[in-house]
Amino acid sequence: MTRHALLALPIALCLQTGTALAAGALPIGATMPMVDVQMKNVDGKELDLAEIRKPAGTLVIFTCNHCPFAKKWESRIVELGNTYASKGMGVVAINANDPKVAPDDSYEGMQQRAKDRGMQFPYVVDATSNVARAFGATKTPEAFLFDKDGKLAYHGAIDDNGDDAAKVEKAYLKLALDSVLSESDVAVKETKSIGCTIKFRS
Amino acid sequence: MLAALVLAAVASVPGKSAPPPSPAAAETILAEVRKPGAGAVLVNVWATWCAPCREEFPDVLHVARDLGPKGLRLVLVSVDFPGDEEAATKFLSSEGVDFPTYVRTGKDEAFVDGLEPQWSGAIPATFLYDSKGKLVRFWEGKASYPVIKRRAQAALDTKETP
Repeated sequence: MTRHALLALPIALCLQTGTALAAGALPIGATMPMVDVQMKNVDGKELDLAEIRKPAGTLVIFTCNHCPFAKKWESRIVELGNTYASKGMGVVAINANDPKVAPDDSYEGMQQRAKDRGMQFPYVVDATSNVARAFGATKTPEAFLFDKDGKLAYHGAIDDNGDDAAKVEKAYLKLALDSVLSESDVAVKETKSIGCTIKFRS
Repeated sequence: MLAALVLAAVASVPGKSAPPPSPAAAETILAEVRKPGAGAVLVNVWATWCAPCREEFPDVLHVARDLGPKGLRLVLVSVDFPGDEEAATKFLSSEGVDFPTYVRTGKDEAFVDGLEPQWSGAIPATFLYDSKGKLVRFWEGKASYPVIKRRAQAALDTKETP
């Protein structure tokens, strides 16, 4: 019974209340919104997107600790983030979920996750969920990649197989990162995947 | 563990075990939606790992039971990961589902865009179609029984207007 209850726990922490549909995601070519909103990083420091973005391009990923889809992709997200941060791109992971709804998505949970996974880029709290709203993000994980001109060049999934990294046929985000880094056009600019709804704060 | 088994046995309706969800691409779901004879169709996309989906599930079934006699057809689509089919079937049985349901196959993107381009892919997701198979409303995230019922009734009512 104890084992059963433990197994059930992550499920109980999954998606929660229904969210109104976002007004629409940021269109390709748009500039980054809410760049001066201070967000607390896992190291305790306040950061805003203006500080995070880099001339080579910037990757913003909305993710969280609890969502099974975010977890499936997590090691790939961290690997991509660490790799492209080391290549000079701005990288940030943002947790916009209300921890009252998903307790695993607490600040302490984020600190632990960043440590466990070896994230070498900021993992920050969108304390009002307004940054996620401004991006029009609806789920986790969801990536927004901006090019050297600060324009949205790619929006969507990490790749085409959340369930199994070994079976990925199209590594959408990696291809887009390489294109932005080499200042060439991103071939596939928008993709979708199934994911957990963002638990917006009311 | 024994207590869990006993609970599961009590929760399920005797004699009603769910058939395993049939693998389906978006086209199969849409074909089911367009099959003649329904006054409206409600498609609910869910997964066993999704808490709001599980919470909403009884309300979706309740609405389908209420409005089924008035012509509402219910199409349930699991997006559980491959290998979790057994868990999905178990959950369906525990909810008293005794009719065919589906589990999505293929890539997420083809499924999401194939079903409805406006859908971001977040779940739970619920789609309401009129008697002609035209999408009249959809939403992402959990809704309550009265809300689902009101919207489903509105979808049924659209058949009155020529």
